[in-house]
Amino acid sequence: MIYGDKKTGVLVQGATGKQGEFHIGLMNAYAREVGGRGVVAGVTPGKGGKEVHGVPVYNTVREAMRDHDISAAVIFVPAAAAADAIMEEAHAGIRTIVAITEHIPVNDTMKAIAYARMEGCSVIGPNCPGLLSPGEVKMGIMPAGLFLRGNVGVISRSGTLTYEVVDELTRAGIGQSTVVGIGGDPVIGQTFVDVLQQFGNDPQTKAVVLIGEVGGNLEEEGAKYTDVPIVSYIAGISAPPDKRMGHAGAIVEGGEGDARSKITRLRKLGVPVASRPSEIPEMVRDLFKGRC
Amino acid sequence: MKLREYEAKNVLQSAGIPVPAGFLIRSADELIPHLDALGDAFVLKAQVDVGGRGKAGGILMAGKADGTKLAQELFKKQIKGLPVKEILAEQKLDIQHEYYLSITVDRSSRQPLILFTEAGGVGIEITAKEHPEAIRKVIANPLMQDIPPFMIRELIGTAPKEIGPVINKLYRVFLEKDALLAEINPLVTTPKGIFAADAKLIIDDNALGRQGFVVNRDLTDREREAEKFGFSYIELDGTIGVIGNGAGLTMSTLDLIGFYGGRAANFLDVGGGAESERVMHAVRLVGSVPSVKVIVVNLLGGITKCDEVAKGIIAAAIPQKVIVRLAGTNEAEGRAMLSAKGYEMLDTMDLVVRKAVEMAA
Repeated sequence: MIYGDKKTGVLVQGATGKQGEFHIGLMNAYAREVGGRGVVAGVTPGKGGKEVHGVPVYNTVREAMRDHDISAAVIFVPAAAAADAIMEEAHAGIRTIVAITEHIPVNDTMKAIAYARMEGCSVIGPNCPGLLSPGEVKMGIMPAGLFLRGNVGVISRSGTLTYEVVDELTRAGIGQSTVVGIGGDPVIGQTFVDVLQQFGNDPQTKAVVLIGEVGGNLEEEGAKYTDVPIVSYIAGISAPPDKRMGHAGAIVEGGEGDARSKITRLRKLGVPVASRPSEIPEMVRDLFKGRC
Repeated sequence: MKLREYEAKNVLQSAGIPVPAGFLIRSADELIPHLDALGDAFVLKAQVDVGGRGKAGGILMAGKADGTKLAQELFKKQIKGLPVKEILAEQKLDIQHEYYLSITVDRSSRQPLILFTEAGGVGIEITAKEHPEAIRKVIANPLMQDIPPFMIRELIGTAPKEIGPVINKLYRVFLEKDALLAEINPLVTTPKGIFAADAKLIIDDNALGRQGFVVNRDLTDREREAEKFGFSYIELDGTIGVIGNGAGLTMSTLDLIGFYGGRAANFLDVGGGAESERVMHAVRLVGSVPSVKVIVVNLLGGITKCDEVAKGIIAAAIPQKVIVRLAGTNEAEGRAMLSAKGYEMLDTMDLVVRKAVEMAA
């Protein structure tokens, strides 16, 4: 698994909001199920001293860090405050930051990511469902019931499409090492390149399912620099140019980033590309057969 | 959202970048008081929200004698189907050289990317293809307020030094106005100094509020209505309506329609939290499109309540057939409610899409 395990102490920023409170409950239910530490502290400015599902809430990240051993954070704060939350966590020394928040202006994201990089920490997202390593840890909003522990990594720019693919894999008896939703925005912290590198160094991960979509060229770039065997699927073959397909980053611009050219480039790199999600489990099986 | 040329030029001018003397007119008569200031030769530019307006007849060269008549004609024209409501009348520049300057968001490095070339003007796309080495690139650190002198030197090479401050001013505009693209093409030298002869600014849709824009002009009426409910909505030209939750799943549903030989009429992502009322509005919105013969609803998620979704679909009560794939909590209740009202609910997205394509054929 990558980006954390059972021993990871997680902080939730925006702990007392509707989303934060709801997902602290789910994350800690999962932690109890697998015997992990889960969410150990929450932060909401001005709400210090409260508790959410038994988790103590602090006014600042630094205060929470003084009382707890924390190495990862999940952000649920509104878009206007989210970039600041990323920087606060990076500044306090948290090394893995998952930003769930959608609709953060790109300029804010660029600054926050540049700052986090200076502090040496990895940002997953924004506009993402987070990550889940079955049997280890859940950081974010993925529905844990669909997952099965195993040795296939999954990386995706999408939320529900990831659940669809994970559901297909689990039904086919193919377990997952870590499932990472990297986010649907044009500017995100950890890209396909970074996550594939992590999977490449992870002994548990034997193959990766890469779920891409229109916009940018980071699916191909990621596949270029890894030797982990990959099966991929690219959404948006029917996307018209210059339209944002639901995700801010899912856009074919200036004739670039369209699904067909991505698929062609991936196939050129020797990566098999599924034409629909339901084909993925069979292709993963073929990949393992070919290698054994 | 793309700003109109005169809006973009106002922004540049406020930032200290010289633009040609110009006047915005909403009727041909409004041109008359400005004729003296515009001089013997000027340009009439239709302010329409569409690209390629020059080739479509939206830009006319005019003079004192024929200016008003030409403006009248331009106001009667349609540029790529759009009526001309505003014209920018602008002094003609005595151009010595045309440069290209732009700042965009670089997705790979996750930082602003500045592009400059000495071969600016209308041929920029050709230059990019045939002489990519002529386009100089610098990646800036978004945490810096200014572009340092060494980066400016790398960009402009032997081009006139006056361009340096323009790059810095455009960078400020890029950051302060939440631009995804800030472009000056051409940036021109004249005997009177340097000018932004044309300008393009695209503002981040997620920052429109804080930049003081109330509506996103790039959206159609139905897209704008969808935005009110927090849906992402896109119009296409087929016969199958598509409702999904999450952009990736909805896009994938669209693709699957193509895979089975059908054509999607639209794309509606209801986003998080599919409560009955939101689902009802989504189904009604998609059902209101005349070309939609059948609707596919594909909703998946651990926290989606299927009974809520079923309630919404039933409450929408639209004449078209609705085929549903639902996975989440309270699945059995949702299924029972739907089948009691004669709606078809299938288990996988392949099945619902295949069924819809058959019905639309």
